[in-house]
Amino acid sequence: MKKSFQQLSLVFFLSAFFVASAPAAEDAALLKDLTSVIALLGVPCGQVVSATKLKDNDHIATCNDGNRYRVFINAEGRVVAEKK
Amino acid sequence: MFHTKVLWMPAPRLAVASFALLIAACAAPPNAPVAVREPSLSVPVAAPPSTAIPAALAARAPSTAANPAILEAVEHKPSPPPAPTAVTAPTPKLAAAPIKAVTPPAATAQVVKAVPVPVTKTAAATLDMKALENRLKQTNSIGFMTKIALKNQVNDLLEQFREYHRGRLNTPLAALRRPYEMLLQKVLALLQDGDPPLANEIVASREAIWGILADPVKFATI
Repeated sequence: MKKSFQQLSLVFFLSAFFVASAPAAEDAALLKDLTSVIALLGVPCGQVVSATKLKDNDHIATCNDGNRYRVFINAEGRVVAEKK
Repeated sequence: MFHTKVLWMPAPRLAVASFALLIAACAAPPNAPVAVREPSLSVPVAAPPSTAIPAALAARAPSTAANPAILEAVEHKPSPPPAPTAVTAPTPKLAAAPIKAVTPPAATAQVVKAVPVPVTKTAAATLDMKALENRLKQTNSIGFMTKIALKNQVNDLLEQFREYHRGRLNTPLAALRRPYEMLLQKVLALLQDGDPPLANEIVASREAIWGILADPVKFATI
């Protein structure tokens, strides 16, 4: 009984680990992308530490220097970073 | 009787007889043969032209193989007749066999090799802008929104060049160099870690890209 419980918990733990790691990789890429975009736009940020998705290609980025920007693609197809 | 008649001939008759004998002696053929010598020709006789011309040509040309056409034409020349009268008049065969092209194909090939045509390296120097653009779109080192932002900035710079070539921009061409360099630096900063080969290609194409942007003819093809 104990062995089966331990095996089951191990299976759950490993599955949770792999499932959780997948979006983390995507988050890292997103954070890097947002950091690059904000740097390209020439606004002060440093490094984006967190991002909140509003919709497709529309995020709120929080920088390590405390600045927050809404980064999105407008109707004209241009990437815009609005300071929040 | 006879003897006495002879002894008793008068003097004039004796003189005539002796004279007749003398004439008969001169008319008879001589016993010793007389050597008749033909006049010796001091002028050297020229060799027949059929054998002299190839020798002359061989002396001129470094190799007879380079002048096969000429030798072929010469070989077909007939030797002139030995009679002196025939030498002055040109034979019809000589006129019928004209000398072929002076410059045989081998010689022209040598001339062509000696004067190489300056071949400009257009193929190698031509910048494949389309290939660079595709690689930039497909690279994984730049995120989606970053690519969009780069595309916006590239379009802004191209619009400036377009205005300049139309004559609507008051700034000189050198003033556009700085924004061009700045944009290139941004692209390189994004690529240098994630896609170094593409970054190196863009660095190598820096001047070529500027050349396309600065030239109105080439810029129109973009």
